Parts: sequence; structure tokens; C-alpha cells
Amino acid sequence: MTSIFQIWLPIAGMHFNVFLLLLIGFTVGVCGGFFGVGGAWIVTPALNIFGFPMPYAIGTDLAHMGGKSIVSTIRHGKFGNVDIKLGVSMILGTTLGMELGARLVMALERVGVADSVIRKMYVVFLAFIGSYVLYDYITHTRQTRRDVARGAPPAKKETVAQRLQKRFRVPPMIHFKASGITCSLWLPLLVGFTTGVVASVLGVGGGFIRMPALIYLIGCPTLVAVGTDLFEVMVTGAYGAFTYGIKGRVDLVAAMWMLLGAAAGAQMGTVAVKYVRGYSIRLLFACTIFIACASVLLKQLELQMASSIFILSAGILISGVILSWLVRGIARERSSRRGSPAPTAGV
Amino acid sequence: MSRRTSMLLLNAARAAIAGLAMVVVSGTAWAAGGPPATKLVNVADTRGLEPGLGLWVAEIYNDGFLLFGGVVVLVMVGMGVVLGFGFDRAMSLLGLDLGKLHHDE
Repeated sequence: MTSIFQIWLPIAGMHFNVFLLLLIGFTVGVCGGFFGVGGAWIVTPALNIFGFPMPYAIGTDLAHMGGKSIVSTIRHGKFGNVDIKLGVSMILGTTLGMELGARLVMALERVGVADSVIRKMYVVFLAFIGSYVLYDYITHTRQTRRDVARGAPPAKKETVAQRLQKRFRVPPMIHFKASGITCSLWLPLLVGFTTGVVASVLGVGGGFIRMPALIYLIGCPTLVAVGTDLFEVMVTGAYGAFTYGIKGRVDLVAAMWMLLGAAAGAQMGTVAVKYVRGYSIRLLFACTIFIACASVLLKQLELQMASSIFILSAGILISGVILSWLVRGIARERSSRRGSPAPTAGV
Repeated sequence: MSRRTSMLLLNAARAAIAGLAMVVVSGTAWAAGGPPATKLVNVADTRGLEPGLGLWVAEIYNDGFLLFGGVVVLVMVGMGVVLGFGFDRAMSLLGLDLGKLHHDE
């Protein structure tokens, strides 16, 4: 019975269960559409534990990532969450930064310390970002509770991004309409460059770094950060698909099946952002970063299989949480349309 | 300098010359052979494949990687656009308000 669902992947040279491809794609699609990340941290180990050779796993992931990000970007664009001008200026910086990062990695390789240094840096960096996002969520929630208790309007504290926008006023100054911010063009270029260097050195797609950078350094609202980041993932994914394609490292049949699942998941993940507050996205994002961090730690302890199973299970769990928020949100919207009281409050 | 020390130095010099010669000879042979081979043949096996998606992909793969890279991008972008608008339409059939969002934090 199960052999009916086994398909032959001519390039990877193996049989693979089509439902597994759809499930992996769907899971990463939900997470990607909701957080604005590519999802290589789930797909690559997931394909690898089911026997996909690693170079094909990376190439196939990048190929489907390009297509999946188009699905999310179309929906986020209609929601008004994509700042194309900001995305393009960041892409310029990111490209240069990634090139410099690649050279840094080659220099580390020549010294023979690339692997150990990069893995440790990855853990420290992810732990730092996750902790910062979590700290921001906790302080914001406490402040909101205090304001509500006092009956006072919410206190406005100057953020790092606002400070940067005020002090860093090198012309040309640009207004980014969708983000609602005016800043020097050099700010997104520099932030893009820095995140590009870090992403390239750490060997990650960049979503984990760019999304928080868009919020905390540029000053984008969370939803615009998610949408704009997906716009960037779309471009880098298409480039990744081409560069791995010309090296013969993409299994197109697997990528097509995964994209089918990912497109459905991405649509749902993207629509789910409508029913949550920006800070809820940040909280779940912090948890996701800690999970990715823990999986790298497991790899460091040479528990490769445990790390892959952990990350795949966590991915399924996170997408389950997002889908439950989506279902509750749709139920709430429908019942409020019918005029009956809302069943639950928004998260 | 004692006789023993001079013999040691002489042996060390001989070993160094022999080592250098080996490096030069192997380096020349290496250069003549081009870069180290990782995988000699990278071909998708089309034997026994029935006409369909698998055979089409395998044949393009075997025709050349440049063409294959282009096809990968075109297929992924094409599928992304078609599925994006398709699922978007399907979602709107649920009767949800999918207009612009307020960016509340």
C-alpha cells in the first residue's frame, strides 16, 4: 500500500514517499509564511534524515524556497506588509555582505578552524537574538499591563531603531511608505550588509537574522518585517535555485512536490498573521530560534539523528500552533460577522 | 663540527632535496591532471523510466546543467505564481476579509 505513494526521484536517485515531501513542504510553508523565514533549518535536516544526500537536500530546499516565498509574498503584498523599496535597498547590502562573509569563511577554512568557530558563533548568535526578542516581549507585556492598571495611555519609549533614524542622517533620506519610516538610505544598506556577512559566515539563509534586524534596527512594524523579509527570501531563493541547479544539485521532482505542500502551508501561515498581534509573532519567533539553537547544540554533541528528529518535530509543533491561531481567528471573524459575541480573544 | 654532526646535516639535506623533488614531481602531475575529481559522472538514470515528469526532468538534467538550472528557476517561479494566486483565490472563497491590515503591535 505504501509503495503506491513512493515516487522515484531521478536526480537524487532514490525512492521517496510523496506524502512525506508534502508534509515537510507544508510544515515549512506555514512557518515561513508566518515568520518570514526561508525554513532551511527544518527542510535540510528533514530531507537528510529520510535519506536525501546532503548537497541535494540543500539545493532542493533552496529551489522550493524561491517558489514558496512567491506564494507568501503575493499574500503579504495584498495585506500591505511588503516594503519593496526597503527590500531592494537591503538586497543590495545583503549581496555585498554575503560575498564578504563567504571570503571570511574561506579564510577561516585556510586556518582550519571554520567548522568549530562557525558552529559556536551560530549558537551564541541565535541565543543572543532569541534572548533579546524574548526580553523585548516580556518588557513590553509588563509595561502594557502596568499602563492598563493605571488607566494611562501606553508609554512611548524611544527604541534603538528610532535613535538610529534620528542620529544617522546621512543623505539621501528616504521615506519607506509601507514601513512608515523615514531614514537615511545608508541605514538599510548597512543593516543589509551586516546581516549578509553574518548570514553568510554562519551559513544560514538570513531570515533568522534579517527579520529581527528589520524590527529592531530599521524600525519596521513586525508584519512589514515579515513581508519584506519574505520578499528578500524570494530573490535569494531564486538565485540559490539557479546556482545549485547549474551544479546539478536540485532534485526538481522533489522540489515540485514540496512546493505543492509549501504553497498551501505558506498561504495559511501568511493569513494567520491577520489574527495575531505583532508581539505574539515575536514570542513564537523567539521560541523557534531557541529550538534551532538547541538543534545545533545537539549536532555539536554529535547527535545528528536526534538533532534532525528534534527539529522536524518542533517544526510540526510550531506549525500546529500557528494553524490553531488561524482556525480560532477565522471562527472569531465569522462569528463576529454573524453578530454573535466573539468566542475567544485574539492572541 | 664533529663527523657525526656533519653526517646528520648531510642526511637532512638529502632528505630535504628528495622531499622537494617529490613535491615538484607530484605537483606537476597534479597540475597536468587538472582539479581533483569528486564525481566523474553525474547523470540521471533514465533506464526503465516511463514517459512522464520523472523522465522529462531526467532528460533535461542529462542535456546540460545550465539548461537544467534555468528550467529549475522557471518551474519554481511559474509554480509559485500559479499556486500563489490559486491558493489566494481559494482562501478568499472562505469569505474572509483579506484587505490591507493595520500594523498593530
